[in-house]
Amino acid sequence: MGKIEWAMWANEQALASGLILLTGGIVGVAGQFRDWQFAAYAVAAGVFVCLLEYPRGKRNKGTSVERTGQYCFTVCVKSFGPLTRNYYVRAFLHAAICVPGAFILATVLGCVCLGIASLIYLAAAIRGEHWEPILPREESARKPVAESIKRPPQNPPPRPPAEIRRKRAEDLEGAAYVNPIPITE
Amino acid sequence: MALSLQSWIANEGGKHFVLLLWLGVNTWLFARTFLCYYSGQHYYYLHKMLGLGLCISRASASVLNLNCCLVLLPMCRSLFTYLRGTHRVTSRKARRLLDKSKTFHVACGVAICVFSVVHVSAHLANMVNFSVRYSEDFPLINVARYRGEDPRLIVLTTVPGITGILLVLILFLMFTASSYCMRVSNYEIFWYTHNLFIVFYVILMLHVLGGALRYQTNVEAHPPGCLRANQSSPEQTGEESGQAVGDGRSCKEEAQFQPNSPETWLWVSGPLCFYCAERLYRYIRSNSPVTIVTVVRHPCDVIELRMLKKNFKAHPGQYVVLNCPNVSSFENHPFTLTGCPTEKKETFGIHLRVVGDWTERFAELLLCDPRAQSEVLPMVPQRKYPKLYVDGPFGSPSEEVFNYEVSLCVAGGIGVTPFACALHTLLDGWRHFRLRRLYFVWVCRELQSFYWFAELLCALHHKLWQENIPDYLNLQLYVSQTDGLQNISEERYMPLRSRLLIGRPRWKLLFEEIGKTNKHKRVGVFCCGPKGISQTLHRLCNSDRYSGTTFEFNKESFS
Repeated sequence: MGKIEWAMWANEQALASGLILLTGGIVGVAGQFRDWQFAAYAVAAGVFVCLLEYPRGKRNKGTSVERTGQYCFTVCVKSFGPLTRNYYVRAFLHAAICVPGAFILATVLGCVCLGIASLIYLAAAIRGEHWEPILPREESARKPVAESIKRPPQNPPPRPPAEIRRKRAEDLEGAAYVNPIPITE
Repeated sequence: MALSLQSWIANEGGKHFVLLLWLGVNTWLFARTFLCYYSGQHYYYLHKMLGLGLCISRASASVLNLNCCLVLLPMCRSLFTYLRGTHRVTSRKARRLLDKSKTFHVACGVAICVFSVVHVSAHLANMVNFSVRYSEDFPLINVARYRGEDPRLIVLTTVPGITGILLVLILFLMFTASSYCMRVSNYEIFWYTHNLFIVFYVILMLHVLGGALRYQTNVEAHPPGCLRANQSSPEQTGEESGQAVGDGRSCKEEAQFQPNSPETWLWVSGPLCFYCAERLYRYIRSNSPVTIVTVVRHPCDVIELRMLKKNFKAHPGQYVVLNCPNVSSFENHPFTLTGCPTEKKETFGIHLRVVGDWTERFAELLLCDPRAQSEVLPMVPQRKYPKLYVDGPFGSPSEEVFNYEVSLCVAGGIGVTPFACALHTLLDGWRHFRLRRLYFVWVCRELQSFYWFAELLCALHHKLWQENIPDYLNLQLYVSQTDGLQNISEERYMPLRSRLLIGRPRWKLLFEEIGKTNKHKRVGVFCCGPKGISQTLHRLCNSDRYSGTTFEFNKESFS
């Protein structure tokens, strides 16, 4: 029921997969196992994927929660324009990045997880979602304070002269008035 | 606001004690298993082949066993409701710990993820070592079939390998869908992926059946490191742990190995059966039909629903979970009860605010009769209300309002619902509760929201004045939107009119006032509202109180 935004889940998955790829790559390089060059590639690929996926996109409905300190990443990712806006590009990019991870054991898991993330991105792209940057809202929500509040009037408002204002005993009817706001406790 | 040790211990002490206990048990288990494999005689040869990877992977596996066992227990909500409601757990401090069950579940879940990463990384190193350091001397402890076998093949052709990969994938799906952001925006994804836990546990029990790691059974007859017929001196190892018992002695017989007996099922099967039994119990209990008696529309998009169900008993502060198949077959939404069944009145009620898709559709189905002019729509024979299933009631921290001598209840907007139920209960009788003074602060954005419970508040106020205890209930209503002149103009709501304040409450002053008039007492603070308010109140409860009053913070939380 309701519209599910697959892209948000795909983003979480891709970020986690980037970290898994990075960890697998570090294990592979540290152990100096055979074909450790693939592990070195995985470290670089993992870092790239994490940087790309760190800024969260804006939700269609409702408030978007930013990740801590994501503003500078948002600016970088936004500068690539349609390449990062479009989820088809991201889906194929992740699918391409994950393939070399399948060659050594240390990075196989990162490859599979990134592959799943790429599939979810494809699903999101087919449903027509795209990435919108979360930019800070301008502070124009408050009504601007009128200038006159800073310069109160120097003179009382104009009134008729005192003789006319004084209440006369013979004109009691004219002196009465009705309170516009009812007096209650 | 200086942090006060006494206040901090009163509020946070119990939680942190349990956390330290849990960390201690995890650390002890990790250390014990690590040492068993590092210097144990049964694993001497295996350790020589695999090195530290063996110890780390087995130690993290034992921690994973413990956490997979513990992670299910906090989610047994019916059990906790029973413990809370019947006061089987007699100490209020212990009952407050039950409030933190979801936090404990998250902590165990995070521990599972972290130790899975450690476990998998260690096993990756093990796979490569199995392949590179294939042992011709002791062929039984090998998992690889020949020296230099591709480690990926080792993983894909053994039961622990394949099940391990599946477990990581399921854990990956569950973990990525559980962040706060996902739960708030796409709850369905979170719920459906989290229900994969049953597949996770089944595969987990298969994972340990592979019998890949073997231990030596005849340590006395063949002390590890002993001289064998075709050797002249013990093998030189660089590690300290290689101090084998049998260095220099000759072996009586060949080493014999047996696979480790799987112990995961010992840890996991108990809680798993318990949790499945609880789900089954909840399903059976929620399958009996519920009759909708009244639907009332209130201002600011709130609908009151009164229902009838056989054998339904609830305490004030508890919540129920609604499922309406006409709206969505699988979605369940929690709502706090605003009216509990009593001897005089058998119906129970909820107030629901129309905010998202589900509530919009549900409201449409309830109010679909356009010909009805009045706001109250009584049950008419031909009227077809949608079928509704109610699961619950479940316990919540707000049940403790009556167990303090002085309570402060702070409600934000629709968060007033748990306290409304408590006020209804006070209307029936207050003498048998421990509560002697209730401070009730209700903050709303719009004035119209107060009309949801204006009748109830005025009725309670009158009753307490009649019984000559006017200071039992101290009411403060705040309208946080300060535009325009706002006032409650109805004559019958006069008590509310004078207690209406424009603007946000000043919590520090409120706490000081409550502290001065209730010196050296323990005040229960209950908050149900936006995060900003609850964080401020929590901080104030932990800070220094010069009047000797202790404020205990209890928070209601959803999602």
